[in-house]
Amino acid sequence: MRELVTVQVGEFANFVGSHFWNFQDELIGLAVDPFGDAVFQNQHLNMDVLYRSGETQQGVPTYTPRLVSVGFEGGLGSVSARGTLYNDDADTPSDIVTWRGNVATHHTEPRKKNLFLQSLSEEDQENLVNGKNSGREEIEDKDIVECLERDVTFWTDFSKVHYHPQSLYQFNGSWVDAREFDNYGIGKESFSWSLQGEEIDERLRFFVEECDHIQGFQFIVDDSGGFSAIAGDFLESIADEYSNTPVLLFRVQRPSSNMLRENKRQIVSRDLHDAVSFARLSSFCQLCVPVGLPSLSRSKATTHLCIDDQKPYHCSAVYAAALHSIGLPLRMEAHGPTTDSCYVSGAVHVNDMVQMLAGQGRQNMVTILDVAMPAPSLSGKHLGQSLLGSLQPLTPEVNDDAEDLLTLESMTVHGVFGSEGERASVSKLKDQISAAYEGETVRPMLCHLSAAQCPLPVPLPFPSIFGNLVGQHGQLLATPIPGASSRGSLDVHSIPMAARLRSSNAVLPFLERRLRNLLRHGTQGSSAAPLLRSWGFGREELEDMGESLSKMVLALNPHSLSSSDSD
Amino acid sequence: MSLRVLNPNAEVLNKSAALHMNINAAKGLQDVLKSNLGPKGTIKMLVGGAGDIKLTKDGNTLLKEMQIQNPTAIMIARTAVAQDDTSGDGTTSTVIFIGELMKQSERYIDEGMHPRVLVDGFEIAKRATLQFLEKFKTPIVVGDEPDKEILKMVARTTLRTKLYEALADQLTDIVVNAVLCIRKPEEAIDLFMVEIMHMRHKFDIDTRLVEGLVLDHGSRHPDMKRRAENCYILTSNVSLEYDKSEINAGFFYSNAEQREAMVAAERRQVDERVKKIIELKNKVCAGNDKNFVVINQKGIDPPSLDLLAREGIIALRRAKRRNMERLVLACGGEAINSVENLTPDCLGWAGLVYEHVLGEEKYTFVENVKNPHSCTILIKGPNDHTIAQIKDAVRDGLRAVKNTIEDESVVMGAGSFEVAARQYLINEVKKTVQGRAQLGVEAFADALLVVPKTLAENSGLDTQDVLIALKGAHDRGNIVGLNQHTGEPIDPQIEGIFDNYSVKRQIINSGPVIASQLLLVDEVIRAGRNMRKPT
Ligand SMILES: Nc1ncnc2c1ncn2[C@@H]1O[C@H](COP(=O)(O)OP(=O)(O)OP(=O)(O)O)[C@@H](O)[C@H]1O
Ligand SMILES: [Mg+2]
Repeated sequence: MRELVTVQVGEFANFVGSHFWNFQDELIGLAVDPFGDAVFQNQHLNMDVLYRSGETQQGVPTYTPRLVSVGFEGGLGSVSARGTLYNDDADTPSDIVTWRGNVATHHTEPRKKNLFLQSLSEEDQENLVNGKNSGREEIEDKDIVECLERDVTFWTDFSKVHYHPQSLYQFNGSWVDAREFDNYGIGKESFSWSLQGEEIDERLRFFVEECDHIQGFQFIVDDSGGFSAIAGDFLESIADEYSNTPVLLFRVQRPSSNMLRENKRQIVSRDLHDAVSFARLSSFCQLCVPVGLPSLSRSKATTHLCIDDQKPYHCSAVYAAALHSIGLPLRMEAHGPTTDSCYVSGAVHVNDMVQMLAGQGRQNMVTILDVAMPAPSLSGKHLGQSLLGSLQPLTPEVNDDAEDLLTLESMTVHGVFGSEGERASVSKLKDQISAAYEGETVRPMLCHLSAAQCPLPVPLPFPSIFGNLVGQHGQLLATPIPGASSRGSLDVHSIPMAARLRSSNAVLPFLERRLRNLLRHGTQGSSAAPLLRSWGFGREELEDMGESLSKMVLALNPHSLSSSDSD
Repeated sequence: MSLRVLNPNAEVLNKSAALHMNINAAKGLQDVLKSNLGPKGTIKMLVGGAGDIKLTKDGNTLLKEMQIQNPTAIMIARTAVAQDDTSGDGTTSTVIFIGELMKQSERYIDEGMHPRVLVDGFEIAKRATLQFLEKFKTPIVVGDEPDKEILKMVARTTLRTKLYEALADQLTDIVVNAVLCIRKPEEAIDLFMVEIMHMRHKFDIDTRLVEGLVLDHGSRHPDMKRRAENCYILTSNVSLEYDKSEINAGFFYSNAEQREAMVAAERRQVDERVKKIIELKNKVCAGNDKNFVVINQKGIDPPSLDLLAREGIIALRRAKRRNMERLVLACGGEAINSVENLTPDCLGWAGLVYEHVLGEEKYTFVENVKNPHSCTILIKGPNDHTIAQIKDAVRDGLRAVKNTIEDESVVMGAGSFEVAARQYLINEVKKTVQGRAQLGVEAFADALLVVPKTLAENSGLDTQDVLIALKGAHDRGNIVGLNQHTGEPIDPQIEGIFDNYSVKRQIINSGPVIASQLLLVDEVIRAGRNMRKPT
């Protein structure tokens, strides 16, 4: 077993993470549920890769994510940053043992727990009194689902996971207006890594020190504003301290809401942010995956889903599901080098994945994330073909028509149904998909396939985003279910998934736009030069960034030489 | 907490309205902070929306916790926080001094005086006050052995403004000894060489100085000793983990055997490194009862731990970077980056190394070292907010001692400096000034009195009575501060109440600068974010 340590920086990254950990928590619960689906009891996924075992001072065992999350102070809503696991009840906060003089107490209006969090804490209470039902009024699942659909403000509002007290770092953005925290410069100005970064480093060290043999970091960053600067410094510090440990970077962004209302200055600022932030973040990781479409609801990836772009609660659920699927091979229980089990196959470590996708050929380290959610079954005339066809990008600014014979892929398919409506065995999955690839006209140069039988579980606090063609086990139905237009966790219990990382020149538009913007605005004398200076970027640094971006573009498109200069 | 002094959305205001907005913002901030000041001040307990608690009596911490929206208030707050960053103290005084400068100015402005005139007076008064400070300060001889009593008095004065007396007094010796431990003649004092470590302990509130180091992790092998005496310490930054070629190795091996062979070869390399360490251990420990401890910044994987454990070596992995430096300063030897050419000279020494376990938390004590230049202050407290508050106080105390040594002087406190400076400005400086700038000098002088006034107020005393008594005693030729119990004049020298010279200096410097900016405002500063932090 080789450990993964997860890092989440910024609000939307924490939304994605919240769903991600809910999936894991659900899997842990289902694995020991005697009445549950057998497919969850034989996951053959090693949760210790993502989780740590610990104990409280009272000797109570705990099992919590190896996670460092960075967010704004106040961003945890009604949840305490220390969590509840490690709190002894003897804590009497009103006792002040350090001062004998006057005391003034200032209360911030207590945040009310929503229905879901109320039900969680009641459950915890009941567990304390030996599982006996305390006779309290049961909160109905239906009401919980509705309440979450109506109102989610914080990522903690729908989180069912117990976090370790070291996990949730709260950044006190003294006197920063959260609404203005929307670009690289403001992040750099309000958080000084040299002064405040040490505590974050220390928390990360806490989780890394425990690892016997860490395989890598999975780093999710909200790239919509100031958190990019903090993440950049954090990544730099990781690259410095853990130089041999690979970093898998997921750069997430929620759908842009007010693009139309932006004035020219704001557009320039956003373009520049995207350029410098990407250049800096990508320079400290081994593999970078841009995730987040300008409009998720209207994308091909959500054909069978009903997404409200305005709700981070919705969008993050889709991205989290894809991240979950992509990461499965990193914790499949390997059964010797050649013999795959009938439950999982294609185990790799972060480093293998990096080598596969970025370590050969064009050495392109910016990959596209595709997803099929839910993945269709292997039935039909062209077995498996529809599965390949249903994979659609969650990476923005991707060229849909690219035909790239040098494509490298790493694909994970799990929980998919066979032609008879049974869960397809791993070997069958592999055969079918290889066959499907044979039938394609443009084939990737290489595709690493990982497969598992275990589907994605849908936890109770998962949003109601399934369309009416999605069945209880995520199978795609021929006729719509009458009634409700969108279905949630009460109706859909699990879904088959396919997700793929694709190193292809289809990512060129994404890279080229960043390069173009950097060259256009970043040069001396441009009207944006003062802005960049106020963000703390010197000329040399900008030149280096431009150079590394052009290298990325050139690797994928050798004919692009100086095309950027022509406009 | 939310502080709304004025509507932050007001976009454009005329000059006079803008000026009054600034004055009100400064007064508002003063109001919030003034109850903090001094040993009789009020501690603040802030309870967040999720029930999280913060405890502070520090202006700096309190300011950072407040949601300030008013740009003027943000500007003042930034000045105060910058004050803390550079000198470690005096944030509360800075804020109330700026507020008072604005308040005093308001009187004159309402009578029709132009702010420019006041600002000119401020400038004159500031320079005169700084000169006066040079005369007023108490020089101390530092030399090789600084006067410990003075250091203790300064530390105690600061600590007693943050912790109740008995606790403050316990910490006084600790912070003084800590700074003296890490101090090297002719070199700037690097307070990072004092590690501050904490333990959450339900029933315990205690702080102690460990001459040596406390690490917040332990060994990761069940067979390693939990306690050892007479230890050689190897401080290293060498990967003892099979990871060397992780990032660069090719993934595609032509066959399984080739892959196995690669893995085996890499494993051997790691083992070689471990063996070099074991060789050194055998060299120095053969035939005696000495022990060997490896503290490594990089990882150590289980096979390497096995090899080391079998040789009776204690090994810790992933030590924090800063501890590499501290360990060498505490134990001697040097931090090595490679196991080539290891010699006994690389090794440090500790009389005792032992592990302490609290639930899942482990601590390793490296103690009884020979001639330490690094040490650890270990804080035990019942909960996070108590620990955090003590930590803040310890930092203040350390800064106060460091400042004293570097300033080679201190300033008598309890308001004595402010009273003396005020009388000097009024009695001597004012008359040398031409025209109405005199009034600026007067405003400045009166503003200084905010310190003794607030100290009196926080002690529940009548401020008028106190000021009259202090001025009277001063004019009879004494240096007098305020007795916080009775309000009577006292001699701060006899009472041992001393503040830092550099802190005072900076307050006097930065206060009028900000106040002048706020007085000469042309229009309202609209967005605080456009302002860089003052440096
Ligand atoms: N025993 C005492 N009697 C009277 N005044 C005292 C005594 N001890 C300290 N003081 C005064 O208290 C003031 C310092 O108070 P305090 O430390 O609370 O505020 P500060 O240093 O301005 O701000 P910060 O909150 O950053 O520490 C100094 O003016 C000092 O002379
Ligand atoms: Mg102070």
